[in-house]
Amino acid sequence: MSADRTAALLWSATLLGAAAAAATYLVYGGPRFWANWLLWFIFLLSIALGALFLVALEHLVAARWSVPLRRIAERISSLLLPLAAVGVLALGSLPALYPGSRPEAAADPVLAGKASWLGLPFFSVRVVACAALGLLALAVLVRGSLKQDRDPDPRYTIRARRFAPVGMAIFALSISQAAFDWIGALEPKWYSDVIGVYLFAGAFLSGLAATVLAVLYLMGRQRLQQIRFDHVYNLGAWLFAFTVFWGYIAFAQYLLMWYGNLPEEVVWYLPRTGGAWLPVAILVFVLQFLIPFFALIPMDAKGDLKRLRWVALVVLAAHWLDIYWLIFPVLGRSLVFSWPELGFALLFIGGTLLCLRRAMELGEDMPVGDPFLKEGLEFRL
Amino acid sequence: MSETFAVLGLFDNAEALVKAVPGLKALRLGRLEAYTPYPVHGLDDLLGRRRSPLAGMVLVMGILGALTALGFQLWVAAVDYPLVTGGKAPTSWQAFVPIMFEVTVLFASFTAGLGMLHLLNRLPFFGHPVLQSKAIRGITRDRFALALEADEGGAGFDPAAAQAALETAGALEIEWLPAPAREPFLTAVFIQRSLAGIAVACLVSGLIMYGSVQMMPVALPMRHMLDQPRVDPQQPSSFFKDGHSMQLPVAGTVARGFLPPGFTTPEEAGRLVNPLPRTPAVMARGRAAYQTHCVVCHDPLGTGLPSLSAAYGAKPANLHTDAIRGYPDGQIYGTIVLGKNAMPSYAADLSEDDRWAVVHYVRALQRAQNAKAEDFQ
Repeated sequence: MSADRTAALLWSATLLGAAAAAATYLVYGGPRFWANWLLWFIFLLSIALGALFLVALEHLVAARWSVPLRRIAERISSLLLPLAAVGVLALGSLPALYPGSRPEAAADPVLAGKASWLGLPFFSVRVVACAALGLLALAVLVRGSLKQDRDPDPRYTIRARRFAPVGMAIFALSISQAAFDWIGALEPKWYSDVIGVYLFAGAFLSGLAATVLAVLYLMGRQRLQQIRFDHVYNLGAWLFAFTVFWGYIAFAQYLLMWYGNLPEEVVWYLPRTGGAWLPVAILVFVLQFLIPFFALIPMDAKGDLKRLRWVALVVLAAHWLDIYWLIFPVLGRSLVFSWPELGFALLFIGGTLLCLRRAMELGEDMPVGDPFLKEGLEFRL
Repeated sequence: MSETFAVLGLFDNAEALVKAVPGLKALRLGRLEAYTPYPVHGLDDLLGRRRSPLAGMVLVMGILGALTALGFQLWVAAVDYPLVTGGKAPTSWQAFVPIMFEVTVLFASFTAGLGMLHLLNRLPFFGHPVLQSKAIRGITRDRFALALEADEGGAGFDPAAAQAALETAGALEIEWLPAPAREPFLTAVFIQRSLAGIAVACLVSGLIMYGSVQMMPVALPMRHMLDQPRVDPQQPSSFFKDGHSMQLPVAGTVARGFLPPGFTTPEEAGRLVNPLPRTPAVMARGRAAYQTHCVVCHDPLGTGLPSLSAAYGAKPANLHTDAIRGYPDGQIYGTIVLGKNAMPSYAADLSEDDRWAVVHYVRALQRAQNAKAEDFQ
């Protein structure tokens, strides 16, 4: 398929999806519309943040092997720019989805105590602050790296390495805050300290999966010719490792809350592991942990392009389902899935792919100005 | 001197060694083995080593570990002795997962470690001829050695041809290694046999112990405190003819201090006079008896408001009411002997003197709650 036809197809999918989204608002009203909006915002945000974390991690530990692959993660993290706008728009979901932000919350003694925190003014301040910090990290890490393509000066690398530890702290705080605000506040009487780590585990996993898919896509177009088996193997090994990390975190939170059986903890799991949502919960665990785990156990599988492609797709689908399972039970006890969800999928997948097609042309395919690129290309297991 | 075990050729760097491998391998002069100070990538493939079966072993043992832990916990918690813990069902799989995870890691890591070292590499092997060679110091530092080794039995190995081949391939130094003169002390086989011996000894002694306990129940190995001259509940006494361990009093006799009362109601007992003097010793005796038997219901002050009344619903008498303060001594004595309302008789618990001492003590309690001005003089 020619490039123009692909673009036309993506544009028409996006526009069709936008029409379906508008129709959703008119037919089903606010909550359904905003739940979908929030779902896609969190899903795409975690991919972009996961990719940015990958970039920051490479600078933090001064990794050499991943230098040839860094540009791909940088390009994916540039999704943060449009996502900042999507996130600010998502504030529209505040009264519709969040019981703690409604006026009647003042009648509830627990929610009244949280009103100043969950109310729209301070909520917006936090969202804008997190977005600003994310864009700052993007500017230092990614824009500097893109500039280095034309101006091969090591000072960009030095600056990125100095920024990386600070960026990590910012990242940890802001992704925790995002998880508490956007996900935890859906059940305002729920307490969980680990939900931030839970979102981080999913974010890193899906950022990694998106990077794998982009690398395979570019390799399929005869770009990234110098990438060897060893680099791909390392990506696969990382995907494998963080599959286990996600499973560990997800189960740890569930086990402790199941065992303690405290009202302020099980309020989250009761609707999400009961009735129609139990099969979804099981499916999330199977897709995000069991299948990738067993698919990536053999040594050859981690460097097998075909297998990595479908495992990465499964991981992304599982992460989407995971966020769906976190958010949608606020709409009701029965499963909510029909044409509005498909419409939103068209809108956001189309839009994201359009953005990524342009992002994949950012700079060179590899950070050619990076002083460690040669060493990275020579990497062997 | 015995026959030659191997011919060792030394190279300066890994590249030279890797380059020499294919040619030497094609000549088939013996088993080709490499000794290097660090792992050289790709050497395993060049030498034609098979893919290690370790990964599969670890996978199988890991799954086995998970199933073992699951089986153990299911058996203990749900089948053999079902126990509700924390209000959860006995078959709560969630609680089993941490143990399953740990045992999976345990089985898998033991398999990986012991399997790699012992089963696959046959370690420890202290008597390896290369360890005795002059070249070993270099091999552990900066030299790379290729060895052509005699196959098991050593038939058909030509050391001279091997030396020539190694020199042609670019070896800088050559060393002939003699076969080990005797079996080395700590071989893998020795350790395997020792472990197997220990396992068999444990199994046999365990079975003997089990059998002797199961099949000879009379010969309990240790009785100690089980052997006591006492009558256990529900067991007949062998000491008395009637089999009872507690005997009834002989007909027509009365035990000392337990004369039957000469009255049938407390009021009737009102005519009795307290025979005991009001001395400190008598007061102390009355206080001790009161605090042993009366205090649970009537409370230390005699108000009748103790904690037990809430549990049983009874309302013990307040000893400070005008009615009870107006009782003659004998009526209080009679109440102790016969009981009143829900209060049972305490005749069996308190001797006659104890009862009269308690009467004195109750009088003292009543006086303490209703003190007159002269009591404070």
